[in-house]
Amino acid sequence: MARHLSEIAYVRSGDKGDVCTAGLIARTPQDYAPLLRSVSPERVRALYGSWIKGDVECYPMDNIQAVVVVMRQALGGGATQTLRLDQTGKSLGAALLRLDVVEA
Amino acid sequence: MSTPLSATLRLGAGSGFWGDAMDPAMELLEKEPLDYLCFDFLAELTMALLQRQKAKDPNAGYVADAVAYMKAMMPLAHARGTRLISNGGGVNVAAAARQIAADARALGLKGMRIAAVEGDDFLGRMEGLLKSGLPLTHMDTGANNLAERAGDIVCANVYTDSTGIVQALQQGADVVIAGRVSDNAVYVGPAVHAFGWKRDAEHVDRIAAAVALGHIVECASACTGGMSSRFAEMPHMGRVGFPIIEMQRDGSAVITKTAGSGGKVDCHTIKEHMVYEIADPRAYLMPDGVADFTSLRLDDLGGDRVRVSGMRGKGAPRTLKLVVGLKDGWIGESMAFFPWPNAYDRVMKAKQTMLERFERLDLKSDAIHFDVIGLNMLHGDAAPRIDPGLANQLPELGLRCAVRTRSAAEADKVRRAAANLWIMGPGGTSFGTPIKPRPVVSLWPTLIPSGCVQQTVSMWEV
Repeated sequence: MARHLSEIAYVRSGDKGDVCTAGLIARTPQDYAPLLRSVSPERVRALYGSWIKGDVECYPMDNIQAVVVVMRQALGGGATQTLRLDQTGKSLGAALLRLDVVEA
Repeated sequence: MSTPLSATLRLGAGSGFWGDAMDPAMELLEKEPLDYLCFDFLAELTMALLQRQKAKDPNAGYVADAVAYMKAMMPLAHARGTRLISNGGGVNVAAAARQIAADARALGLKGMRIAAVEGDDFLGRMEGLLKSGLPLTHMDTGANNLAERAGDIVCANVYTDSTGIVQALQQGADVVIAGRVSDNAVYVGPAVHAFGWKRDAEHVDRIAAAVALGHIVECASACTGGMSSRFAEMPHMGRVGFPIIEMQRDGSAVITKTAGSGGKVDCHTIKEHMVYEIADPRAYLMPDGVADFTSLRLDDLGGDRVRVSGMRGKGAPRTLKLVVGLKDGWIGESMAFFPWPNAYDRVMKAKQTMLERFERLDLKSDAIHFDVIGLNMLHGDAAPRIDPGLANQLPELGLRCAVRTRSAAEADKVRRAAANLWIMGPGGTSFGTPIKPRPVVSLWPTLIPSGCVQQTVSMWEV
């Protein structure tokens, strides 16, 4: 049975214009390696489908065992003009926890 | 240069956004010796809202709450030697400072000095800027045609650095109120002033450390257990403590919170906010400097104390971010809720009926968006598809509709179509209060040379 990221990571997300940024944080130091293996721009784009129109970047932070995911054109135009309820992407990042963990 | 209360500079965070609770800030001021208490009140949309208020009343245009906070806190802050720094001046900083000075006078706080820091408001300078030949390229879309939209401009503010705040403190200000300084300039300013840092190569890492520490605390309780994924283990969040930075001259610091308050400070609560709303963590770009968040080290000292050290960074960028707000049509929105049995079928029928009403009302829209509340409103395509048979067994579901239009009258048709559903829709449908159409201000972020911006300080003495 595949594990979801929700079992090994926490998330906090927000906005800057039409960019949604999410930080995934390993629950324990041992969770960091599988977290890194499991998050990639391709997987993130596939997860969100048409809800992300731009590029995705993933930045590892070894010092705090976290990965910052930057999703461009991901908020329907940005907080002030989006038609979505989650205008500032506070909820959007939680969906990342649905990604399957890539086991070693 | 003024000397901190001790070798350690103590900065408190008093507000994370306009709408934050005041009681945790008051508790912080009452219980903790602080050199400075700092407040962030502004968000991207706030400036457009404040310009609208100022257009109606030349004495408005600042964050009214910010002035109310100062009034409530000045007597104790004055007695304790805690200086108050905020960006609540919005687009009418002088009016805010004048009101704070009048309040201080009424409170009998003789000798208090209130400083207004201005220079960020470019609304009156846009015409010249558009003619200057600067490209003013949209940072996200690459568009270059801002001049064509000149008639739609409703606000224009530059995210400025802490230079003006430092100047105000050098002139002996007890209260500093600024406009659109960057959120963390309200923390960097007092550090630069108190430690006498220069903006040179020797101090780059220390200013970067202040930028990083400012980022960690600038949303107040968001680093002391608020917004946490570990919400279940956060004690008494209704009386959460706001954070304190205990900073050393070398830029290292301990982050803690009000003694005896709710919430928690540990490595995890700090990490959660370090990763919040940043892009490349190796280059967290602020007008005061660039911080490399991958360089710092966190140590949990226990007792709600986390040490932050080892920050590295680069000097201030040569450009500053100018955010221009543009009038951009309207949004009409509606919600309706449906009970078991067959809640999903009810949602689908209501959606079809809404679309038919839009046709009958001859709605002219740029975009129509539907969500099924309970299934996909928050995550859209990332939400798993639920089989309609299964969805029909859920206790309740909702339908949300949002439409972008060019005029308020068109947006109001969404409210009317939703009201039509009261009787035309499936049985058992419930509605909350109808939602009014709202005007849209779209944002045009761009970069301008730092040299275009001159901050000024005006002082009111009580």
